[in-house]
Amino acid sequence: MEAKRRLTVCLAGNANVGKSAIFNQLTGLNQTVGNWPGKTVERAEGTLHFKGYTIRVVDLPGTYSLSAYSMEEMVSRDYIAVEKPDVVVNIVDASALERNLYLTIQLLELKVPLVIALNQVDFAAKRGITVNAERLSEILGVPVVPTIATAGIGLQELLLKVAETAEKPSVPVDVRYGREIEQGIKKLENRIEAGLEQMSSCYPPRWIGTKLLELDEDVIKKVEAENGSDIVSEAAGVAQQIEAVHGEPSSVVIASERYSLAARAARSAASIASPPRIDMNQRLSAITADKILGYPILLGILTGVFSTVFVAGGAMVTVLEELFDAVIVPGTESALRGVLPSMWLAIVSAGFVWGVGAAVTIVLPYIIPFYILLAILEDSGYLPRAGFLMDNLMHKIGLHGKAFIPLLLGYGCNVPACVSCRIMETDRERFIAGFVVTLVPCAARTVIILGLVGRYLGMPAAFGLYLFDLCLVLVLGRLAFRILPGEPMGLIMEIPPYRMPAAKSILKKTWARTKDFVYIAFPFIVGGSVFLQLLSVSGAMSAIADFMSPLTTSWLGLPSITGIPLLFGVLRKELTLVLLANFGGTFDFGSILTPIQMVVFAIVTMIYIPCVATIAALAREFGAKRAIAVAALDSILAVFIGGLAYHLLSAVH
Amino acid sequence: MPEEPEISELLELVKTFTHQGSAARIDQIASRMGRSLEEVQQLADQATRSGLTSKTPVGIRLTDMGEASVRKHREEYVHQTHLHGGSLTGRVIRFLEGNVRDWHGHWRHHGFDDESLPRFYENLENLQGRIEDTVSLADLRGGDKCTVVLALGGHRMVRRLAEMGLTPGTEITIVRIAPMHGPVEIFVRGVSLALGRGIASRVLVRRPTSSRASTTI
Repeated sequence: MEAKRRLTVCLAGNANVGKSAIFNQLTGLNQTVGNWPGKTVERAEGTLHFKGYTIRVVDLPGTYSLSAYSMEEMVSRDYIAVEKPDVVVNIVDASALERNLYLTIQLLELKVPLVIALNQVDFAAKRGITVNAERLSEILGVPVVPTIATAGIGLQELLLKVAETAEKPSVPVDVRYGREIEQGIKKLENRIEAGLEQMSSCYPPRWIGTKLLELDEDVIKKVEAENGSDIVSEAAGVAQQIEAVHGEPSSVVIASERYSLAARAARSAASIASPPRIDMNQRLSAITADKILGYPILLGILTGVFSTVFVAGGAMVTVLEELFDAVIVPGTESALRGVLPSMWLAIVSAGFVWGVGAAVTIVLPYIIPFYILLAILEDSGYLPRAGFLMDNLMHKIGLHGKAFIPLLLGYGCNVPACVSCRIMETDRERFIAGFVVTLVPCAARTVIILGLVGRYLGMPAAFGLYLFDLCLVLVLGRLAFRILPGEPMGLIMEIPPYRMPAAKSILKKTWARTKDFVYIAFPFIVGGSVFLQLLSVSGAMSAIADFMSPLTTSWLGLPSITGIPLLFGVLRKELTLVLLANFGGTFDFGSILTPIQMVVFAIVTMIYIPCVATIAALAREFGAKRAIAVAALDSILAVFIGGLAYHLLSAVH
Repeated sequence: MPEEPEISELLELVKTFTHQGSAARIDQIASRMGRSLEEVQQLADQATRSGLTSKTPVGIRLTDMGEASVRKHREEYVHQTHLHGGSLTGRVIRFLEGNVRDWHGHWRHHGFDDESLPRFYENLENLQGRIEDTVSLADLRGGDKCTVVLALGGHRMVRRLAEMGLTPGTEITIVRIAPMHGPVEIFVRGVSLALGRGIASRVLVRRPTSSRASTTI
């Protein structure tokens, strides 16, 4: 007992089963909990202490299967097979047992020490479903613990079973298929054991055989790399025989048989007390995804979100501005006067204090309400419905409804939106989605649109800009879809039931995102502001402004001082507005820019080069080359459209 | 082993009269073939000796080998019909997709690739027997119930659908269909799933009410 005190445990399960909730409960780590498929796209880790054990918990992405269909599935199975965690905790939704056990069966096939957390038993009970955990445990041969993750119920028991399993693994049942499949696997198994030593040390030979019969692209590639094409071509022959007998591709036969095992286990362990009747949840679902009502509701929700952000943000801006203008800035100035030489005073007060002031007064008031509303939308389960309604439109740009989710997230911040493009199935779709996401005005750009155009020219003008941006997204998306080679994929997306968002989760999420924003953005904003003052004091400013003036003044019709804020916008988009205020020496943009200039300025910042964080995210997801291409394309486009807008608007007025 | 035409006919009828696990009755087959009970008994013995059928107390059923033989026979039959009788292929395509003109491009648009499209063409004829009486998921309306018969498409897509629970024989309920060629929401194995219209139109299903009585006409 004393010898083994460090354990590695990983959490595996379908999307929307409360995996992230269990992870948060176990580790207390801030990890975002989402209610849409495939939310947990990055691997999250945490550590906990339990009865003398130090347990490292790894949260795997939510998957329905362990095939080579998506990156998430390959990541999950490779982690389980190669890293060999001490225990795998399979989180299973008690209200959809049959479907969840499909993954469980595949975990059993991988021969890993398994513990099942039978989660959301409360939600299942509401639907009249009771699951006999002991019976399920008998059938599968692994411990099953009922849990309610959101309330933390059953987690102690779960950890106890995890520790027990780590010390003395249980004996899981063998997964057996029908005659033809079993014969096929037998035939391959011996050859695999003999010919694939390296792979067999990670994956059970039987599992490799099954995957070969499923024509799993990734396993085929690995087998060919180690042993050439002999085994693969034999497997293909066997698969063909199976197809001839069953009239279905062998992968479908195997999936069918797994499902019939799952269905049998579910039938004998779960009882449905009352036939599911139409409850509030389904009624709400019916209205919000309705073919007529759904669209005004979607529009209403989005309008509501942006209006709330505008009103709440605007009110806070006014209060904070006064505070800064009247109290803090003069206060610091008078406190420092005499202490610092006047040149440094300018840098500190006009640079540092102003920078902080701008970040707090202009940026935070818009960002916090937006993050709160976004978290509510995510946790409620509305986003997949929006995706359902928008599937048709997304197809116009060669994507499907799921892509609407990164797009919406993009309105918050492009960086997580780029990462969330991983929910798309193919590389081509990920890239189109990623490219389109960079054109979506994130919270930082919303600050500019609302704080400049919305505030001085009215909300209709701001909405006009959003609409224009949406059209641009569609046109460019369509173009990318036409130019990039490959075939579009169709939509296959789970629509989870609605859930009441928990205040705790909303606040946690908002806090985590705001914290990220403050850590990442504040240094840029304050640093940029100070640097700008240095330039100004040293006289380098006008040289740079002059250098850029052909572009800024002649083509875009902006005051020459805007050149520098636009340059700094590469660091953070909201910096352009902050620096503009810094330059003008006032937060009243009406005295710096004419209405047309405001629109042009907003258009340019909305479209041009993504911020460094987004470029970095693009580079990580799609490679440096494509990241640079996107950045260059966006910049050229922004200058082109901005100039066009200037000349057109001037001509009209 | 070449099969006699009578045996083929027998197997075809055994297939027709086998309902949900209950074996086909000799008297039914005899009356359909227009032969005496004894003659059919003899044929059945012959088929059983060849491993194509097995006898049960109430009648006769197909073995796996017999099933394969029926399928092959149907394939040949359909192939001949296709070669000599004109545009069965066209009929099937029209049946599946309505009036699509450039249907090669159309299938490609729906996820067939260079590898799976020729295979689909090859299989089209033998699919015909199975897709009779079926409709596509996209042809149904909200609230309809149906059973999956098969999914057409590239290998990845077909496998994915099976993994998401749409295996042959699975019962599904249509929850709703989005307008303007939007996706179809279905309820399958306790979960709501949204399928794009393109995918939904390639999932062939059978309505449970489609009566089996039609086989005796």
